Formats: sequence, structure tokens, C-alpha cells
Amino acid sequence: MRDKSNNVAFLSALLTTNLKAAAALRGAFVIQVLFMVLNNLTFFVFWWALMRRVPDLRGWRLGDIQVLFGIVAAGFGLTVTLAGGVRHISRFIDDGELDTLLAQPKPVLLHALGLRLQASGFGDMLSGIAFIASSGQVSWRAAPVVLLAIVASALVILACGILFHSLTFWLGNVDTFARQLWELLITFALYPEPLFGGALRLVLFTLLPAGFVGYVPARLAHRPSAALVALTIAAAAAYVLFAVAVFERGLKRYASGSRFGVHG
Amino acid sequence: MRAAAVSKYVAFARVATALARRDRGELYGRMLFFAVILGVFSSLWRVVAEAGMPIAADPKLLVWYLATTEWIILSAPPVHTDVQESIRRGDVVCRIGRPVSYVGAAFAEALGLLAVRAPLLAATAWACAFAFTGWIPPLAPLAWTLPFGFAGAALITAMCLWIGLLAFWLEDVSPVFWVVQKLLFVFGGLMLPIELYPRAMQVAAAWTPFPAMLAGPASFVLRQSGAGWLTLAVHQAAWGAAAALAVWWAFRRARATLTINGG
Amino acid sequence: MRATPAVVITDLCKAFHVRRPRAGGFAARLQDFVRPHTQTVTAVDRLSFSIAPGERVAFVGPNGAGKSTTLKMLAGILQPDAGEVRVLGLEPSRQRHELAFRVGTVFGQRSQLWYQLPPRDTFALLGRVYEIAAAEHRRRLDALTAAFGLGAILDTPVRQLSLGERMRCEIAASLLHAPRILFLDEPTIGLDVSAKAVIRELLHTESASHGVTLLLTSHDTADIERVCERVIVIHRGRLLWDGAIADLRRRYLTTKRITVWSEAERLDLQLPGVRVLSSDAYRTELEVALDVASVGQVIDAALAQSAVRDLAVEDAPLDAVIRALYAEAEARRSET
Repeated sequence: MRDKSNNVAFLSALLTTNLKAAAALRGAFVIQVLFMVLNNLTFFVFWWALMRRVPDLRGWRLGDIQVLFGIVAAGFGLTVTLAGGVRHISRFIDDGELDTLLAQPKPVLLHALGLRLQASGFGDMLSGIAFIASSGQVSWRAAPVVLLAIVASALVILACGILFHSLTFWLGNVDTFARQLWELLITFALYPEPLFGGALRLVLFTLLPAGFVGYVPARLAHRPSAALVALTIAAAAAYVLFAVAVFERGLKRYASGSRFGVHG
Repeated sequence: MRAAAVSKYVAFARVATALARRDRGELYGRMLFFAVILGVFSSLWRVVAEAGMPIAADPKLLVWYLATTEWIILSAPPVHTDVQESIRRGDVVCRIGRPVSYVGAAFAEALGLLAVRAPLLAATAWACAFAFTGWIPPLAPLAWTLPFGFAGAALITAMCLWIGLLAFWLEDVSPVFWVVQKLLFVFGGLMLPIELYPRAMQVAAAWTPFPAMLAGPASFVLRQSGAGWLTLAVHQAAWGAAAALAVWWAFRRARATLTINGG
Repeated sequence: MRATPAVVITDLCKAFHVRRPRAGGFAARLQDFVRPHTQTVTAVDRLSFSIAPGERVAFVGPNGAGKSTTLKMLAGILQPDAGEVRVLGLEPSRQRHELAFRVGTVFGQRSQLWYQLPPRDTFALLGRVYEIAAAEHRRRLDALTAAFGLGAILDTPVRQLSLGERMRCEIAASLLHAPRILFLDEPTIGLDVSAKAVIRELLHTESASHGVTLLLTSHDTADIERVCERVIVIHRGRLLWDGAIADLRRRYLTTKRITVWSEAERLDLQLPGVRVLSSDAYRTELEVALDVASVGQVIDAALAQSAVRDLAVEDAPLDAVIRALYAEAEARRSET
């Protein structure tokens, strides 16, 4: 009987293959990583310049912004490296790549997620950790909590990616829309929550959970408490379970053949 | 002969307008993004105002400033990818003997795209800025932003064209584009007026074309007057000439390289 | 004792509900959104057949006939609406995971090889996908490398390989886990003549020597003739013909093709039952309906007009036979 350890071997083989493929690109790989670091630095120049003049924004200081930004960046980087296929799910559904996966004896979603690795994610992780480390807000003793925060953020980001792209099962190819929604999620997560008013805040903790991508994990890293740990883990788990359920439901629909277009 | 040449370029521009209309999805996405960014920043500047404005301007003005810079940047079509594709496919080699023809055509097509995107995005920009600030700046300075903003977007387009031409020598020009884009964001004062930067950065910015593209046109809104339009016009013209020169030179070098390598 | 059939399909049915957009402007779009107009397209209509282990069967039909749909139902990718499917004794839609270890698939239009990497790396990954033990994996890989001549290309990045080389690796990849049955969808599409010949040879040999059942769809009748012994023809989801290829030809062989190379520049042959397929300078191609005229009659008529330099008499190509089958089915359909 096949056991779970085989899935672990499978996932690590996927990761190894992805790393080999990334390394095969050599120069392009390095450039992607560097670019991402540069990209994040540019964003940060804005906050640095602004906070030189206005050091305190409703309790938020530059160090706080650094921690927030660092967690989201590292979380995002983690997602697109280990589960880079999430960005391509709409396309997999639309061009029949799922057929190949369905014919193989491995869980379709896991397989699909592991099919791609985005090199720039390493740049995100590097810069994210650098921002957190240099923020002066987090001590080295808090490293495990920071790691938990990053992983939780990554899981919510991943879950949303799966959810948005799974809409293709029902609505046809919504690749562009799903990508833009995902970008929106990250955009909101990068700004401190005092900026957002009541109604918007509700949305940011439910439909577009930027609050669980940025705010809550950042709070956890800053001032850990049992309650926050529980909330962080619960939120991440809830979103992931929901996303997986939606995907599986969509996959059933896919297998029943209800799609746009003609078949032969 | 002149009239025929011009009409040829007009034809290219018309094709581009049709193309732009087809890429509606991406454009709508940009408009939504626009709305979100302006919303977030109007909130941000209000919060900053609480703590004490670092600049002699109403926070509402800073939202309109951002609306303008974003409008300029989002209007400029990313022609570097099209040019790169064209070069990869080998289309350009056929027209290598007539440089003005190729570059002129590519630029005309890009301007066509710009002509469609710019009004749409301007309308979005103003609608969103009004929605979030509940206020419209005096119309005169706002009107100044239009021609200068369009010129700024055209300059950005020319720069993208030049980056695209680098495909003759580079396998992938995207990294160059990304770096230049980041420099544009920072030194063009996309989110923060350049006056807010440390002195050293302000001096550095003055040596780049980026302020002429973004901060220059947008500053009419910030200062609520049309003052300084002549200086800006001179800057834009100078950088425009520099862009034309750079593009021409790149094309000549490309032709030389191709001739040596046997095309 | 009869061996368990490799594939059994009984009264298999599958219909798709396709949304047909209404013609018109904005009002039509709105209507489409609120109340979509769906049309039911029957893809597979009470299809039944069975395949014995080790058989090589070609699955033929025009586009939209239901071939890919049937294949997908056999692989467990699609759920049937009605009817029974058993592959290697398992039910594909319910026991997909178990079946996947015993089935191999090759989609001609899609590749499972990683583009930037040498095939060896994809094979290593597949070893993990199919949970093949390391020693077994090495043994299989060596055997396949020898059989398919992959030695030289195993370590070259896939993007540098020719289409023919890629296809060889693709098929080897599908056989790595020693499946009992292989489903192939257009395996030789896009390949040049010599590459096609190599692939056909490999498929036939692999199946014959290891008893792997093959089910292959193709538009290329040479694929069908060189690799398979049996052909199943489907049309509009219904079974048209199921039997040996030789039988198909004999049953539907009502014409012969005669090519005449003559001394005279043009031949003018007006005989009942004789159709001129092409008439070039010094070369004429004719189709003879054997129930009306005979080959002998045609040759006599040609000789009467001009001296004949060369002559070729061939059976109608399988293509024509199958097209005749479709035409017959269409004619029957329009009568009912």
C-alpha cells in the first residue's frame, strides 16, 4: 500500500527538478533574484524618504513598516518558489495540462503547485529577511515566531491564489483577472492598516484577506502572544482548507466535462 | 511624398488604436489598480497631515499629484516587449535599410496606443481623485498637466523604444526595463514629490530625464499654478532630442552589427 | 481460460452541455448571462467494445467523433454519464489513483518533458511520481535507453532536441513505470517521415515483446497500418466498425487505383466506372470501381490509345476506405 512518505519523496523530487531547471537558466536566474531585491528596495525608498520627515504615523514607525513589508515579501517569495505553479492554475485548467496530471498517481493540486518555480521569489525572501533583521523591532530570540508569521502569510497568499484561479473551473479562463486580484491582495497587505476605514477593513479580513497576509503576522512577529499564535495558525489553516475544497470541487466539475467549448 | 509618409504613420496609429481597444481587459485592470492606489494614498496623506505635513501643500493636492504621475506612467504602453519580439522574429531585418521607416512606424504605433490609453486613464484618474478627496483643483493648472503629461508619456515611450532596441545585443531586455522603471519611480517622483527627498537625491534626479517625465507635469497640480512651464518645456524638448539621438544611434549600430554578421 | 480483457466498455455514454452564445449585440450578451442557451452535444453514444491484453488497436474517427473523449474516460480524466468502463479490471473514474500506476499516456500535442532540462531529469522525477524503487528505475531506464536509442540524447536539454528525438523520449517516459496499457493520442503528429517510421517501429516492438496493450488515435493511416492489427472506427460517438484492418480493406475494397505512364502526352479514357483522379503530362491516375469495370478493361483501353511505359495497380488507401465508411454513415443518417 502506498504511504504518505512517498508523497514527501515526490514533493522533494519536484522541488529538486525545479531548482535544476532554474539553475539551467544561470544568468537569467541571478538577474531575476537581483531584480526582485531592487524592486523591493525601490518601494522602500518611498517609506524611508517619507519617514525621514514624518517619523510617526499613528504609531507606525519605519521599523514597523520594515517588519510588515519583510513578512509579506518573504511570504510571497516562499509561495512562488515552493508552490510557483499557483500562478499558472488558470492556464493549466484552460490548456488541458490538468489531463496529464489526472492521468498520474499523485494529488493533482500538489502536483500542479510544484510544477513551476519563480526564481524572483528568492529575491523576495532575501530582501524580506533583510528588512526584518534590520528593522530593530525584532530580536533574534523571536526567530521561530517570525518564521511562523512568514509561513502563515505564505499560506494565506497561496490559498488566495488557488481560490482566484480556481474560478476558471466555473467561469472559463480568468487568468488576467485572477492575477490582478492577487496583485491587489499583496498591494493592500503592504500598507499599514490604520490607513483603512471600517468597511474596507472588513473586506481585508474576509474576501481579500490582506489583513491575514500582512497585519496579523506582523503583529505576531512584533509582539508574540498565545492568542496571536492561535489566530495566525487558525486563519492560515482555514483559508488553505477552503481553497483546497474549492479546487477539488472544481476538479470534479472539470472531470464531468462541463466546460466551455466543444469536445472531440 | 511628405503627405504620403505622414498618412502611412497615421495608418499605423489607427491600427494601434484598434489593438488598444482589444487589450481592454488589461486596461480595465489598470484602471482598478489606479482606483485602489489612489484610495490608499488619499488615506495615507490624510494620516500624514495629522502628524504634520512635511511639505507646504494640502494632502488633497498630493493625491492629485499622484493621480497625475500614475496617469502618465500607466498611459505609456510597454513597447519594449513589442520591439523585442519584432527583432526576435526578424521583422526588423527586412526594414533595416530604412531606419526612419521602422523606428518611425514603431513610434507612431506606440503613440496611437498612447492616444487611446491616455484619455481613458486621465478620466479615471480625475474621477478617482475627486471621489477620494471630494475636491477638484483649479482647472487652469490642471489643464497644464495635459499637454505636458502627454509629452512626458511620449518621452517614456521613446525610452521604452530604445530599451526594446537593445534586443539587438541582449537576449532579454526585461531586466533593463525593470531597472529603468524603478529609477523612473524613484527619481521621477512617482509617489513622493522630489522636494521630499534628501538633498543628494534631488541633485542626482536633476541629472536624469525622469523628473521631466513625471514630476514636472504633475507639479503644476502641486503648486497650483502654471509657473515654470517654459523650463519644463525646454527640459522635455532637450530630453526628447536626446531620446531621438539615442534611438537613431542604436539603430545605426544595430545595422552595422547586422551588416558585419551578414544579417 | 480467458484472460481478463485489458479494456471493456459497455454502452458508454457522454454528452456535453455547451453554451452557445446568441447572435446579437448587448441585449443578447445580457440574455446569455442571465439565461444561457445550452446545447447538448452527444460525444459518445452507447459505445461498446473490448480489448484483450497485448492487442494493438487503432481508434479512428473524424474530428469531434468522440475519440479523445473516450480515451479520457478510459484514463479516468472524464466521468462517463452512463455505461460501464473497466480498464485492467478497475473503474477509471473511481479507482483513478490505482489505475494510474498501470496506465501510460502519450499526448502528441503536449509534453511531460521539462523543457530546460535533459530527459534524464524528467525520468528521475517520473520515478518518484510512480514510486519506482531506485534499482528497478535504473534497470528500466537502461532497457529503454537501449531499445529506443536514447544514449546520445539522454543528457541533452530537451529544448535542443529535434521533434523526433523528443517523441522518442516522450514514449520512453510513458513506459518507464512498465504500464500494462498505453494510451496514445496523435503520437506522430508533426514528425517527418523517417521519425514517424522510427516511432511506429518502436511502439510495435515494445508492445509485441512486452505484451503492452496499445490504444492509439491518429489521423495518419500509416500509423494505424504499421502499428496496429485492429481498428475501431467511430463516427458521431457511435461505433462504425470494429475488426481487423485486413478485414476492413477486404470488405470495403471496391476500388483500385491505376497509374499509367504513357508515351502519349494525354490519355482520354471515358469508361463507365472509371474516374480520372489526376491527369499530368505523360501520367494519368485513375480510380476503378470494381463492380462496374475491371482492371483488365482499363489497361486494354489505355493500350489502345498509346504505348504504355509503366503501370501501377494499387489497393485504395485505407484513408479512402475509412472516408467511404463515414460517407455511408452520413448517408444513412440523412435518410432516417
